[in-house]
Amino acid sequence: MNTNSHGHSLGQPLAIAGGIAALAVLPFLAGNAYLEHLLVLWMLYALLALSLNIVIGYLGELTFGHAAFVGVGAYTSAILSTQLGLPPLLGLPLAGLVAAGFGLVIGYAALRVVGPQFAILTLGFGAILFTITNHWVDLTRGPMGITDIPPMAIGPLAFDSARPTYYLVLALVLATAYLCHALVGSRTGRAFLAVRENAPLAASLGINVFHTKLMGFVAATAIAGIGGAIYAHYIRVITPDIMGVHNVAALIIVVIIGGRGTILGPILGALVYIGLLESLRVAGPLRMVIFAALLTGTVVFLPGGLISLWQRWRNAHKSENNLPATPTGLPSTEGGAK
Amino acid sequence: MSPAANSGEILAVSNLTRIFGGLTAVRDVTMTVQAGEVVGLIGPNGAGKTTLFNMLGGSLPPSSGSIRFAGTDCTGAPSHVMGQRGVSRTFQITSLFPSLTALDNVRSAAFRTTRAGWGAAILRSPAYRREEAELRRKALEILAFCDLDHRADTLADAMSYGEQRRLEIAIALAAEPRLLLLDEPAAGMNPEEGQRLVEMIRRIRARGVTVLLVEHHMRVVASVCDRLVVLDHGVKIAEGPPAKVLNDPEVIRVYLGREPVDA
Amino acid sequence: MDFTVFAQQIANGLVNGMAYVLIATGLTLVFGVLRIVNFAHGEFYMLGAYITYFVGTLFGLDYIAAAAISAVVVAGLGVAANKLIFWPLRRDHEFTILLSSLGLALLIANGGELLFGADPKYVESPFADEVLEIGTVTLTQQRVLVFAAAVVALIAVYLFIRYSRFGKMMRATAQNPDGAALTGINIGLVHTYTFALACGLAALSGALVGPTVMIFPTIGNWAVLKGFIVVIMGGLGSVTGALFAGLLLGVIESLGGGYISLGFMEAIGYAMIIAVLLWRPNGLFSTARGLR
Repeated sequence: MNTNSHGHSLGQPLAIAGGIAALAVLPFLAGNAYLEHLLVLWMLYALLALSLNIVIGYLGELTFGHAAFVGVGAYTSAILSTQLGLPPLLGLPLAGLVAAGFGLVIGYAALRVVGPQFAILTLGFGAILFTITNHWVDLTRGPMGITDIPPMAIGPLAFDSARPTYYLVLALVLATAYLCHALVGSRTGRAFLAVRENAPLAASLGINVFHTKLMGFVAATAIAGIGGAIYAHYIRVITPDIMGVHNVAALIIVVIIGGRGTILGPILGALVYIGLLESLRVAGPLRMVIFAALLTGTVVFLPGGLISLWQRWRNAHKSENNLPATPTGLPSTEGGAK
Repeated sequence: MSPAANSGEILAVSNLTRIFGGLTAVRDVTMTVQAGEVVGLIGPNGAGKTTLFNMLGGSLPPSSGSIRFAGTDCTGAPSHVMGQRGVSRTFQITSLFPSLTALDNVRSAAFRTTRAGWGAAILRSPAYRREEAELRRKALEILAFCDLDHRADTLADAMSYGEQRRLEIAIALAAEPRLLLLDEPAAGMNPEEGQRLVEMIRRIRARGVTVLLVEHHMRVVASVCDRLVVLDHGVKIAEGPPAKVLNDPEVIRVYLGREPVDA
Repeated sequence: MDFTVFAQQIANGLVNGMAYVLIATGLTLVFGVLRIVNFAHGEFYMLGAYITYFVGTLFGLDYIAAAAISAVVVAGLGVAANKLIFWPLRRDHEFTILLSSLGLALLIANGGELLFGADPKYVESPFADEVLEIGTVTLTQQRVLVFAAAVVALIAVYLFIRYSRFGKMMRATAQNPDGAALTGINIGLVHTYTFALACGLAALSGALVGPTVMIFPTIGNWAVLKGFIVVIMGGLGSVTGALFAGLLLGVIESLGGGYISLGFMEAIGYAMIIAVLLWRPNGLFSTARGLR
């Protein structure tokens, strides 16, 4: 998502191609199953964070209900495959559809209010979905969760271990990143940003603020549902905890620490999150204390997230080369929401 | 851009009233604006100018009365519908997209005149590419029109006050409006900047855009408007060419304490 | 329908509701006066319960004294949180403030788990096992105390806001912070008082409810959710709204739990806010600026 699109250099496509190539060879460098597993988790979180970023980064609304949609997708595909014997490959789009359906209904109700009220309402909706999942034992097996979920498979190719799953999720992450890139380069995405920046002004320009937000919210929930389904078929066990407050906080932390309103930010944030989570495994509950401090610290001292450090460096570099560019070391537009 | 001003009535407001609680902010106002005109809406503070503007822009539903825009009844239509029909507005307090560049401010504002959405962008259809190139050209043209072409890559947030006020007009123009509502565009400007604004409004009119502006700077109003409408306590008390209106004893009485303005 | 059971459900609901009101009053005060949505509010409830427990067990103080000390200590912690986070961020976007308070909530909840351990604790109270019968309704003395102490606290808060010098400052700030600052009101002091009051009330609620339940370091989550439901239903910033919505939520949950299903009791509250918000998007007692 490059906003100053003139002066397209060869550098950017090359960097992207290089990045994708590096991601593609990563599992071979990992060398063991544990690291490969972490790579899958990284990509899964990146996928979910990219979807959350549509709401937090582009629409500028804070949702505390995102994990619930991940859960809806996970349960949809898990139930369809374990109880109806539906192939997981079919369950995947259905999971996205069902999550989007929930997203449409919940978004339609919750987007009538904005700001903190919206955040609290999404928290309430998330809590309802959690409660229902936890208590509708006939359908979801309640707190015991669903076990023996079959792995994802495309024909003879089964995604029953970390490495193939990594490539599957990587492909989805790249696809989602492209969707986001196309979004911000389109009329639709510019309407998203206009709504984020100044809703009354956006409306005066003919943008239907409510519909715009609803569209973004539904798109985000659909992707979250698909991510949840992949998670279910990879881990093979799901419990209502997938919808819990813990997961809500984790996704928000990933997006904020990485850098909201950007594409690389959530991917980077997911890497930092998974990396720290694993390397601090011995620390126990102290881990979450550290994450909480990181979240607050990032919000206060680095509102653009980690990615903004790189942007800052790049901008400073740029203005050295071709004066006169922007006056001071301004953050790039990608830094986005304030 | 849009076809030259065709004659005829573009905006017809009849018996428009807005009551807040027990307070009548706008009472029974009837006025029209002809296509191609520049009309000034003046009156002392609290006269109901901004309330009237908000009703015209769709952000405030009228209590009674009607609004017709370009022959269509728009009474009570919400903001985005008015925007889609071709009414753009600026706001009293600086209102733009702060963390986007000037260019992106204008591109985001061109919602009404663009068609290729997310799907087209994903497929990178030829129509999308054509539209994007055209949009970019048009946005740069509008920035140049507002003397901001050298600031295209600057964040709106980082601009000077005068630049921000011009960017607001650029944003409004990007929607290619038929009617432009300017809410105190000269507020906080020095005489030189005011003069620049007058020039700009003239050029806006020359683009075929009808302008209705609320303004306190009488010099600006007198030099750019074809016609003035004066509100006091929500009621229209005078209407006509600036020279006549500004010497109207009733208008002078309302503005008592301010020097009468030579037009 | 059995009247005895029904009356019992109503009584239980009113007691629970009163605890919600105490939590929500602080939440709504902080929003009404300072325009801050404090996600960490529930953590002060949790701290209230834990400090009561520790003061009681470690220092051997009786329950009432422990509860009072806990309310005061937590009020001080609230002031500290304000000084460290909310006051420096007061000019920032609501997004930043909301996220920082989420960070604070995670910090306190997980820090609590580190310090207090994840295993449940039981707050000792001499009133916990004594039963009081009012007509056909049976309540433990502790639950009667929850209700009575909450009523007294709320009346005190009302009088404080209505008549004290600081209460007047708070109301002036709620109506127009810039105007209040211009008339010489010390906004910093208003922040401090509001946080002390709000967090003290949350702690009081925790100290009162503590003996009737098991306490975990994660109960702050639960508390802030209840508080939000009540505040949103009543209208953000409305103290009267919080009172009605809190009691209503308590009673409806209790009746729902009794007659429909205990499992879905939690969901009833959420369903209520959704119904209310679809009907009145800004809450039952929606207000313009100002406290009421």
